[in-house]
Amino acid sequence: MTTMDSRKWTKRAGAVLAAALVLAVPACSSGGEVVDLAVVTSVERPEPVRKGTPPAPGKPAPQCDPKASLRPSSSYSPGNFPAGSTMDQIYKRGHLIAGVDQNTYLFGFRDARTGAIVGFDIDMVNAVAKAIFGTVEGKVVYRAISSADRVPLLKNREVDIVVRTMTMNCDRWSEINFSSEYYTAVQKVLVDRSNPATGMEGLGGKPVCANTGSTSLKRIKDHPSKPVAVEVDNWSDCLVLLQQGQVAAVSTDDVILAGMVAQDPNLKMIGAQLGDEPYGIGIPQPAQDMTKFVNAVLDKVRSDGTWMASYNSWLGRTGQTAQMPQPKYKD
Amino acid sequence: MVTTLTAAPAETDGGDRKLLGAPARAVRKLTRSSRTTPGRLTIISITLAVLAVITGVTGALSVQQKQDTITDLAEHREPLAAAAQQIYRSLSDADATAASAFLSGGTEPEELRSRYEINVAQAGAALAKASSDIGGIPEAEQQVNRLAQQLPVYTGLVETARANNRQGFPAGAAYLREASGLMQNKILPAAEKLYVIDVDRLAAEQDDATDLPWIPLALTVLLLGGLIAAQVYLRRRTNRVFNIGLVIATVAVVVSLAWGAVAVLVESTRIDDSRGEGSQPVDLLVRARIDALKARTNETLTLVARGSGESYEQDFVRLSKSFSGDGNLLQRGKGMGGGAMTNQVDQATKNADAWLAVHRKIRELDVKGGYDDAVKLAVGQAPDGAAVVFGRLDANLNTAITEGRKSFSEATSQGSNALTLLAPGLAVLALVAAAGITLGIRERLREYR
Repeated sequence: MTTMDSRKWTKRAGAVLAAALVLAVPACSSGGEVVDLAVVTSVERPEPVRKGTPPAPGKPAPQCDPKASLRPSSSYSPGNFPAGSTMDQIYKRGHLIAGVDQNTYLFGFRDARTGAIVGFDIDMVNAVAKAIFGTVEGKVVYRAISSADRVPLLKNREVDIVVRTMTMNCDRWSEINFSSEYYTAVQKVLVDRSNPATGMEGLGGKPVCANTGSTSLKRIKDHPSKPVAVEVDNWSDCLVLLQQGQVAAVSTDDVILAGMVAQDPNLKMIGAQLGDEPYGIGIPQPAQDMTKFVNAVLDKVRSDGTWMASYNSWLGRTGQTAQMPQPKYKD
Repeated sequence: MVTTLTAAPAETDGGDRKLLGAPARAVRKLTRSSRTTPGRLTIISITLAVLAVITGVTGALSVQQKQDTITDLAEHREPLAAAAQQIYRSLSDADATAASAFLSGGTEPEELRSRYEINVAQAGAALAKASSDIGGIPEAEQQVNRLAQQLPVYTGLVETARANNRQGFPAGAAYLREASGLMQNKILPAAEKLYVIDVDRLAAEQDDATDLPWIPLALTVLLLGGLIAAQVYLRRRTNRVFNIGLVIATVAVVVSLAWGAVAVLVESTRIDDSRGEGSQPVDLLVRARIDALKARTNETLTLVARGSGESYEQDFVRLSKSFSGDGNLLQRGKGMGGGAMTNQVDQATKNADAWLAVHRKIRELDVKGGYDDAVKLAVGQAPDGAAVVFGRLDANLNTAITEGRKSFSEATSQGSNALTLLAPGLAVLALVAAAGITLGIRERLREYR
């Protein structure tokens, strides 16, 4: 650089050349030193958008029986709903708006070949749509939402139902309604095959990934071995972080983790069950009629073989044993 | 470089010694001789001749410097700003293309794959050019470093996404999201900063090229005044109206003043034109194009996010103000360039409006349950689809930018032509003036012997 500058100087005025020479000398006489022009000692690693660490836990959960829903209504034939009922409004609108996941393999994910959203959760959405419209084709708007958006969107009534591996718990019951339980999952831990840890106990101080606003995240934070919770928007973002070695483990429901193992056989599930995760369909609280209606649909799904068929086509491949949950009602 | 550095000082050292030593030795002699007319004449002759040479040298040097500046403008600054623009455009397009390919589903269409590949190769080549001349600006170096380090990371993520997509795994979408986040949050801002730095350097150098050469101008006026005063003095002392030598010197100085003034005036007018008709409208169009590319990426990402892409749509609406609506960048740039550019910008405006109409249709379809149709309209190759209409807009802007760059390079080379032969001309005229002064006064001195 010094020589470059001094070259300009010569052009501008010969009188200052002596000074330029003084500047140029050190550049010419750097003897015996290794010159590294580009030294890189660390690399910025790519990260999922909106990666973060969760805030401290809030108030304790209220007491209730999270699995108990409202008793099903008598079944209606598609299109024949009481005037003014939630189902009637949806029917007249022409489409059901369902909050779903497009990133969780086997439950709600985008089929890369067709671009359609499919999975076990989506089969439940379609069963509800079919009961309202008599057909599914063109009657459902799938809205891909994040875990954290589930409750707010239901409260604002921007979606009619949320079927997105949503755990029924008392915290959420205070803000929204749940259908009867349609799947029972348990929380486990997923690590790389080479990881010596045998459960969450061995992950103290290590980064463990979960979704923002999920029950899994809360369990990670509350675990006595004190792992460092890392939160992202989607479950597949957790898989990416695990594959890139940026987190040591992912902890959530076994079926979601089984979907990750199906995408990457270098991963394994470890440890004891960290807790029950009953899945329910989220429904806005004012829509009591809709809650009862959806429960009637789920009754039919369980009894007419739809549940089992859907289980076999999506979750059968994970090697988990099928356990069809029995409904519980509070009234 | 070493030769210039060691050879040149030796000469100047000698010259310096003479220049610095001469007055010291001559002070006494001067005061003595200034009391006599021949002594005064000698002093006047030497002073004016030296002033003529200095004026000539300064003038020639400053013209040479101006010409170097113009050459640098045409050969480095402008191409470099264009390269920085190219980095931004290619990377932004690569990102939008990767998202489109993902939306298309199944095996990605051949044309999207090759478009992505060309974009990445183009960005890499432009980056190599841009990094070759960062002019010791630490901020520019930072941006180039960031681009050079993160671009391979980006392409790695896209390929991982592709491998996962081919197996039907949703991890593919996650890798693509990560790649796009990296592009939008780190790589493109760096490319944009680099472009801004290069455009600022271009503008600064245009300022240099249009600066008035004050020092040679002042010296010439001083010389002219000196010559006139000397002739008035001579006329009073010798009663002769004209001194041929001094008249020739005066004419030479007047000619160099007139020539220099006209040439520099023409030159700076043309450089101003290169800015007003070239680099300024090009900058506006480039910014409009960058915003259009960003908006296109947001249009695709809204669909990729499928229902939770409000922030992308908001960005789209904000960005669309750059190329549509009152006082947009296209409108502002339109009148500045030549006819060909105006024509392209008019078409670009039409295509931008057509694209916005298609975009509204896409949004309407998406929110009303027609997601598949919305995707088809957004990334499909139908002639009224967003991809094709946007492609036309981008092509219009590209042609308009090329037209603007042509105007720039024409005006710049005309500016440079105005200075042709001026530097040697000034030097020769200065020598003529010095010779005229010396000979003219020596003739008078002879009369005193």
